[in-house]
Amino acid sequence: MTIADKINPLNTFRGASRYVLDEELAKIVNVSIAIEMPLLLKGEPGTGKSMLAYAIAESLGMPLIVLNVKSSMKLVDALYQYDTLTRLNDSRFGDSTRNVSNIEEYITMGKIGQAFVADNRTVLLIDEIDKADTDFQDDMLDVLDQMQFDIIEIDKTISAVHRPVVVITSNAKKDLSDPFLGRCNFHHIAFPDSDMMRRIINVHFPNLQGDMVRACVDAFYRLRDIEGIEKKPATRELINWIRALKSDPDFVLSELRRGDVPYLGVLFKKSPDMHIASRRIAQMIR
Amino acid sequence: MFIDFFYTLRDRGVPVTPTSFLRLHRVLSLGLIHSVDEFYTVARSILVKSERYFDIYDQVFASRFHGVELQEPGDEELSELAKLLLDEWLKNPRQVADALGVDEEELARLSPEELIKYFFDRLKEQTEAHHGGNKWIGTGGTSPVGHSGYHPGGMRVGGVSRNKSAVKVALERRYRDYSQEGPLTRSQIGEALKRLRRMVPVGPKDVVNVDKTIYETIRNGGEIDIVYDRRLRDRIKVILMIDNGGWSMDPYIDLVQTLFHYVRAQFKDLTIYFFHNTIYDEIWLDPQRWNKPEKTLAFAAKDPETRLIIVGDASMAPFELTSKKGYIYLSSMWTRPSIENLQLLSKTFPHAVWLNPRPACEWWDAWSIDIIRQVFPMYELTLDGLDKAVGYLMSRN
Repeated sequence: MTIADKINPLNTFRGASRYVLDEELAKIVNVSIAIEMPLLLKGEPGTGKSMLAYAIAESLGMPLIVLNVKSSMKLVDALYQYDTLTRLNDSRFGDSTRNVSNIEEYITMGKIGQAFVADNRTVLLIDEIDKADTDFQDDMLDVLDQMQFDIIEIDKTISAVHRPVVVITSNAKKDLSDPFLGRCNFHHIAFPDSDMMRRIINVHFPNLQGDMVRACVDAFYRLRDIEGIEKKPATRELINWIRALKSDPDFVLSELRRGDVPYLGVLFKKSPDMHIASRRIAQMIR
Repeated sequence: MFIDFFYTLRDRGVPVTPTSFLRLHRVLSLGLIHSVDEFYTVARSILVKSERYFDIYDQVFASRFHGVELQEPGDEELSELAKLLLDEWLKNPRQVADALGVDEEELARLSPEELIKYFFDRLKEQTEAHHGGNKWIGTGGTSPVGHSGYHPGGMRVGGVSRNKSAVKVALERRYRDYSQEGPLTRSQIGEALKRLRRMVPVGPKDVVNVDKTIYETIRNGGEIDIVYDRRLRDRIKVILMIDNGGWSMDPYIDLVQTLFHYVRAQFKDLTIYFFHNTIYDEIWLDPQRWNKPEKTLAFAAKDPETRLIIVGDASMAPFELTSKKGYIYLSSMWTRPSIENLQLLSKTFPHAVWLNPRPACEWWDAWSIDIIRQVFPMYELTLDGLDKAVGYLMSRN
């Protein structure tokens, strides 16, 4: 493949309609796509790690396949499932259209399998990889490295038709294993600063007035700075909060500027946090 | 070639592998990087795999690219790197071949000496082809094509550029917060303890056991007999014993409290006991160590599957451990030396660890630490230590 093919304008990520992309991340995404490496994203909840995969899929016009990792998950679940029970049932009652002696008819693809056999190149989002244990992670990377896996039951090797664009997210503070990290590109998404946040809000609420955006974002960062909060409100909370404010006919912007914060519950999801926040707000108003 | 950049990162403790370094060169030779800014970003994503090292990376990057002339690497440096590459090759030939952009089998035919020679030549060739460092990347902004040095058809960025050079950004040390030196926080403890669990079947039988179902069905002569099992649930039991007395533990109160709070939230079946310095004939359920004593001997009857975690600095006068009357409160009369109590606990609970908030480098100066380490495996109360302790607690020993 020549360079020109790899940087084909059609295949270069430009950010999507609801996603504000920063320069660094755009470059990293493009390089990862070009050298076909999985991209591992870490960062606080609400920094848009998973959203990035949706944005890539949207802007490159590729289908998105999401694998939500669970702690009990085994690698084979992500590759394919062999539906033994249906087969057993069919063999007993014989009233289905499937051919019982053909095992392949009872094999369905898991998320990784789907990404491999898809007709077009896909974006494969592997969400919250840290939930699974280390073995799962390493084995999965082997599969993604070689872009193929075996279905033992029918002795068949599934190879990727098109190498999917792989985005992996992790919330873990702890590092993933070395072999895993060795096969990924890595980026840590920092929490957006207030300029960036205003742009994000503008993307989500294009018709919102500038002073309203500024007041909301300022209040939001003030609340994030309160000490002793366990779960700081993130972008998602801010967007929901603005939505709540917008739909409230009694809401007055000057109140917010004065320091009063309605709908605290949208921003703080833990009761001790909410308690601390409302006390601080009361102090600030006084 | 930036070989010194690579070595400086390694010297400063960033685990950079030669493979990833080669990968970076592949990206450079593909012409994907057009400015120092882009180099800063892309090199970080390829070389550095944890935000904890971002701060070191920034420092190294700033000092390396801040008005410093780039130098051609000497043959000596190249052959060092070639040897490192051989190590990588032995571990994972495929990756190295990929990073070099050559066929794995072609390399596999070579002997180790030939491989070193081959790697050396390739590295040398890359160095010369690009006349040293700066030419690997175009100068930002002066590129004839594209907006601000970007490749034609490159990406459009949502918003204005950050208007700072990569070196300036690096000098800001934005990632200082993430560097490793920070204290252990609650969520980090959570991460470390997440793996501590014991799956046992409980609850209603609602999961199909395929193997048994097939077996029973065949035994039934083809009449389907579906066998259900109970689901696996976490039923781990944990006993936590905390040294909460004495001035020697004072510096670690915050740390132990953090652990304490998290552990309370994490484990359903948890009992917490308190002691002072070491464990005598009684141990207390109340932090005041007064109202609710429990006999240490009674622990022998508890479930041996319980995980026992003892937290203390294990620093005390030797006689406190070994003497029958070792207890520091003279009015009390004890019948057994404390070390026997510790041995009893370690015999009862094969899965037991001692977490020490004192850093391991200080352990040599307390004789009592030595003795206790013969009874319990001891780990530092750090993220790393917790991780190892959990590993030990989960092993089938």
